[in-house]
Amino acid sequence: MNLRHQIRRFGAALACVAGAMLATDAHAQGQNRGDREQTIAIKADTVHLGNGETIENGVVLIVGGKIAGVGPGLAIPRGATVIEVERSSVTPGLIDAYARLERVDPFDAARRESGRGRLAEIVRRMHGDHETGAFACTCTGFDLCPAGHMHFEYEVDGVTCPLCAFPNHMPMEAASGLVSTASLTESSSEVVAHTSVLDSINLRGADFDRLAGGGVTTVFVSPDSAAVIGPRGAIVRTGGPVRGRVVEEQSAVQAAMNSDTFRFGPGNNPPFRGFVTNQTRRPNTRMGVTWVFRKAFYDSARHAEGLPVSGADTAPLAALDVLHRVRVGEVPLRVHARQKNDIESAFRMGREFGLSFTLLEATEAYELIDLLKDADATVVFGPIEADPTGPRRFTPEARRGRLGTFRELLDAGVRTALTAQDLRDENGLARQAMYAVWSGVSPGDALRAVTLTPAEILGIDDRVGSIEAGKDADLVVWSGEPLDPTSRPLLVLINGRVEVDRR
Amino acid sequence: MNRLGIIGCVATAAFCASTANAAPPPERVAFTGGTILPIVGDRIENGTVLVERGVIVAIGGEVEIPYDAFEVDCTGLVIMPGMIHPHSSDGLDVANEALPVAPFLDVGDALDPSALFFENALREGITSVHVIQANNTVIGGVSRVVHPIGLSVSEMTARADVALKLSTSPRRGSDRMVQMAQLREAFLALDDAIAKLAEAKYEEKLKEDEKPMDVGPAEARERGMALLEDRDYDELHLNLVRLRRGELGAWIYAGAAMDVAPALRVARDQGFHEQTVLVIDGDAHLAAREIADAGVRVVLPSQLFHRERDPISGELIETFVPTVFHEAGVTFALQPNPSDSFAERFLNYQAALLVRHGVPRQVALESITINPATMMGMGDRVGSLEVGKDANILVLSGDPLDFNTRVESVYIDGALAYERESDTRLQELLRLQRRQDNGASGPARSNNSNNSNSNNNNNNNNDDSDDNDRARNGRNDANNRSNQE
Repeated sequence: MNLRHQIRRFGAALACVAGAMLATDAHAQGQNRGDREQTIAIKADTVHLGNGETIENGVVLIVGGKIAGVGPGLAIPRGATVIEVERSSVTPGLIDAYARLERVDPFDAARRESGRGRLAEIVRRMHGDHETGAFACTCTGFDLCPAGHMHFEYEVDGVTCPLCAFPNHMPMEAASGLVSTASLTESSSEVVAHTSVLDSINLRGADFDRLAGGGVTTVFVSPDSAAVIGPRGAIVRTGGPVRGRVVEEQSAVQAAMNSDTFRFGPGNNPPFRGFVTNQTRRPNTRMGVTWVFRKAFYDSARHAEGLPVSGADTAPLAALDVLHRVRVGEVPLRVHARQKNDIESAFRMGREFGLSFTLLEATEAYELIDLLKDADATVVFGPIEADPTGPRRFTPEARRGRLGTFRELLDAGVRTALTAQDLRDENGLARQAMYAVWSGVSPGDALRAVTLTPAEILGIDDRVGSIEAGKDADLVVWSGEPLDPTSRPLLVLINGRVEVDRR
Repeated sequence: MNRLGIIGCVATAAFCASTANAAPPPERVAFTGGTILPIVGDRIENGTVLVERGVIVAIGGEVEIPYDAFEVDCTGLVIMPGMIHPHSSDGLDVANEALPVAPFLDVGDALDPSALFFENALREGITSVHVIQANNTVIGGVSRVVHPIGLSVSEMTARADVALKLSTSPRRGSDRMVQMAQLREAFLALDDAIAKLAEAKYEEKLKEDEKPMDVGPAEARERGMALLEDRDYDELHLNLVRLRRGELGAWIYAGAAMDVAPALRVARDQGFHEQTVLVIDGDAHLAAREIADAGVRVVLPSQLFHRERDPISGELIETFVPTVFHEAGVTFALQPNPSDSFAERFLNYQAALLVRHGVPRQVALESITINPATMMGMGDRVGSLEVGKDANILVLSGDPLDFNTRVESVYIDGALAYERESDTRLQELLRLQRRQDNGASGPARSNNSNNSNSNNNNNNNNDDSDDNDRARNGRNDANNRSNQE
């Protein structure tokens, strides 16, 4: 009995070992056959390195998922897989330092029919149709709009109420990039730096496929800016094995120095639209926003010294711990501000607490070029829009924006990356670079603003952002010049693996 | 409101006044030295287009320039025909009447010559706009083709009475059965009205001749029909009669594949199949085969991709609509996409997207010039640079399918209508006012940043233009205030 037991146990152990050996063997083989040791050579008419430089008739050599070399006349090792497309060009994978992902899948026909479409119909019947597709309705207290928002315009075909994203309050089963029930920002406090947006990301979401299809390989997934000091963002890849996609789990803390008129969670919006009711949250004014910001950093210093913190707007202690790390420079900070007074407030707060931060969106930066230059600011600017679409078009500052702002920032020497935010139809980010060229920026500078510059801003330029030996092989092969509207990404490689192939 | 839409009302008034009061445009204009893309015909390097009284009289590599011709030097530039917006209700103050059947309307009555939309169109290289009612209708009013410049509707009009708008997709708040019933009813009521009218006409004639009724009612109708004249019809019916006679086009909106067959059936039954253009949307490309077999031309949706999720597998299905129609052999026209934030608002960018997805370059260029021209029944006047056609000419800084190509100037009927150099609002948007632009090459690139410091100081001159913007759009104005409160 005992012996039999032992034999059986021994057998099981043997099987285990053998299994493990087999598994590692298969794993190793898979790696050999797949991306690990494979050598790929990409030949292209033009290789844009990402740092502004260009190589004609270049070869990019990839070994084991890393870039092994790049040059005009590089010898291609025997056995390498050669990728060569006529009249093509190669760029590093594009990087969006400020990706706003969809909460719902815009292409889900079934959902569109049954969910938002029907809702739109109900609302329209309740409030009348003004032929133009837009109508005024007052649904304060309307049960589908819990924040009690005033609706001024509702796009029946565009489906979302720009003022409170009304149908978004409906429960959603499938999210395209992010899974969430209402807002992307935790609303238990105005200071939620201890939460992380990574917990809300659906890495298998369609948003990432669309980004990859447009040549974007790495993104900073941004929380929405409904809280004064919001969650920490995450840096992820848009393709490849899901387990390896996260580049940085806990990245920068993101604050919002304004009312966020773009993503309407039940955040610090009410003072800027509609009524302040008992359903809405503090703060109610720009003064209030600044005060909550100031108190949080003040408290973080007290808390770090072991002193008690108290008062109406006191943040969770866990958040104060994170803010302390921000204050001492261990955790980067990003501040979202569009209007010039908000941008000024952000820098005032920065001076007060000795904080350095990345400025986000910065629509009215053209008014403050000198300030940004003197402050040695870092900016993630965009999107560049001739005519703002979606909820952004209801923000007066977006309509005041200037198409030449990005060029002016570069001319002034301000380190600026471009973002497409939520515009991710094919080539969303590439199109931003194209607009930059349209406004007078050189193609090299424009391309740098969507590759190396955002990598530097995110602190991942040792791994991605340019075509350089030793960096990860995140590459895009374009059917022509990358910023030419007649060309598109033919191949997108992430870590040396072909993720998109349109040949 | 489009911020590219720029000059603002003050500037517009001044601009129009200057064209109106200035000396009349020269009788003969010669565009010399440029690369000519005539669309119909081969590309001509270093060619000349000669215009006399607004009409092209010669085009080619060796054209003798008359001594009195005003010469426009286009060396290093590209000359092509003005682009055509085939389907727009943006110039109208209201896109659709609340009545489902309203063929007696004329868009000329609702057209706003000072709409920013027209200024944009001009800036983006569009010289003809087909202004037609939107799709929320059963039978809409009659459309017209206008130039995007002028102080009054008549001054802008290039051709009135172009087409009627019909729709087989349900009006808002309606359904397909009601939609089709209303459409059928309209034509049945027309038949009925014509029959009664014919009978009455014959009776009247007999009365004039002082003869008694000599035939039965059916024969009387038959005989009366030959006597009917345009002035006998009331306004409600006249345009439908003209539609059947082929004097008006029929632009039928089919917002889904299932609406295509009813649209083609109506066109065939009512006898206006020849002059039918389908304005499609949604998944109507699924009916491309049917459309090709019917020999009908289409205006493609402004959003050129159709994206849908497979309801079972969840897979994203992405279709580039123009490719489908190109492969089916259907003639099509492109629209700019007003819901895009930037590039797709430009017709030439839309055409560039076609090339990106494998449609031949020539087809892409035709779909923004000659194709819409023939659809509007103006194939003999606009859409290409040919002898005898209107001199609607674009002078571009480079190839039209390159997004960074700039519209340097626009000529309509041989007269200068737009000049980039004097487009002050564009300069302001690009923050270039103080920068010395070196003419044809447009804004300076960032590599000559040595002269860029000068424009950092003039930050305070935006308020006026904003106020103008707001004044021009009451609805946005209301929103602004509400957002700020």
